[in-house]
Amino acid sequence: MAGTKEIKQRIKSVKNTKKITKAMELVAASKMKKAVSRALSSRLYAGYSWELLTSLSSRLDDIYHPFFTEHTNHNKTLLVLITSNGGLCGAYNSQVTKKALAMIKNLSNTKADTEIDIVTVGKKGDGAMRRIGQNIIASFTEIPDNNISLQDIVPLSKLIVDEYKAGKYNHVYVAYTDFISALTQSANVRKLLPISKQELKDLIESIGEEKDNKNEILPDKDSTKDIPYVFDGDISTLVGSLAEKLTRMQIYQMVLESSASEQSSRMVAMKNASEAAGEMIGDLTLVFNKARQAGITQEISEISAGMASVS
Amino acid sequence: MSKQLQLKIITPEKLILDEMVDAVTIPTANGEISVLADHVPLIAELSSGDVVAISSGEHIPMAVVGGFIEVKKDGDVTTCAILADFAEHVADITDEMIAKAKQKAEELSKQAENKEIVDFEHFESELERSLTRVKIADKWRTRKYRK
Repeated sequence: MAGTKEIKQRIKSVKNTKKITKAMELVAASKMKKAVSRALSSRLYAGYSWELLTSLSSRLDDIYHPFFTEHTNHNKTLLVLITSNGGLCGAYNSQVTKKALAMIKNLSNTKADTEIDIVTVGKKGDGAMRRIGQNIIASFTEIPDNNISLQDIVPLSKLIVDEYKAGKYNHVYVAYTDFISALTQSANVRKLLPISKQELKDLIESIGEEKDNKNEILPDKDSTKDIPYVFDGDISTLVGSLAEKLTRMQIYQMVLESSASEQSSRMVAMKNASEAAGEMIGDLTLVFNKARQAGITQEISEISAGMASVS
Repeated sequence: MSKQLQLKIITPEKLILDEMVDAVTIPTANGEISVLADHVPLIAELSSGDVVAISSGEHIPMAVVGGFIEVKKDGDVTTCAILADFAEHVADITDEMIAKAKQKAEELSKQAENKEIVDFEHFESELERSLTRVKIADKWRTRKYRK
């Protein structure tokens, strides 16, 4: 009966692992659903603020606000890297980090004297950036992976907005993961500041694409242009604070997308692990049965040999 | 019955309220304004306080923090959209929550003294939220309103 006991133990331990991965898969699936529904429900707000911004900006021929005009005084760029706190989520973290590194390389290739500062969200990205010795000015690891509310990202957005307003950086880029579907996510680098209208529009339109029917959340520019709005207060202050809110909204959106992607890639990774464990259990059971059968056969032959010698 | 306007209260997290009301009073950066149907198109900054909608003689108070308002007319319907960072119906603010908010506000203002700038900003917005909640809930405690 050589080894049957050991094999039995292996089977047992693999079964336990399978239970854990299965549970993690289910947890990730429910977290993903929540993150996706949060991302969708911010759509209305995004649509309305976009509408406000277009109607405000159509009043001014050229909005002179730091959020819309590029600083050109130096070559500093801020890169925000959004990753997860936990591991066990497939290639999620490595993909977005790779994108960020490619971006850094690209930036320093085009202009030799470019300086890049990094803000990281999540422990994984923080670790990766520290290993290669990038200059990290802040790292946020407190963002929960469940039910992210706007309050949770206020410190992050405030930091970015303040640094940018102080004129420290020419551009702000964000590396995050776009949630396309439960099976597909794509790592992306997007310019956050200065606000380019086209990019902003793309982002807002992409919220909830394919996930829900788009019921005209973005009205045509022409339709809002002609409304003779009365402005209460100074128009440039309004544009300023609206731009700030929109920037925060964008960051919120990106964090939510990343969170949904993280959970879905964890779900897929755990699903694969559970399947692999199932296969392993099958193989081990086969080996176990063979060993058992061999043991029985051996015993019988021994008994019959003994009988033959007695008679 | 007088003409009604559509009131929408929207936060980044969800659509809080969407209904037809007779009038709505809104705190803006330059003071309180009331909006009735057929109001001129308007864009203004919202300040923290209470948005009070009046529907068939009843008040519907909501605590709001920071954002914008937009009033516009689409054909015959006047729409008043309130984009707030945070909004909550006064009836949803229970006594327990008020106590918690008060406690949090005190805690936060204590903590704020010896924190770094980044954290402080976070505290500031939390503090404003807590304080507004408390203030508005106290204000409406003895008044009648529709739940």
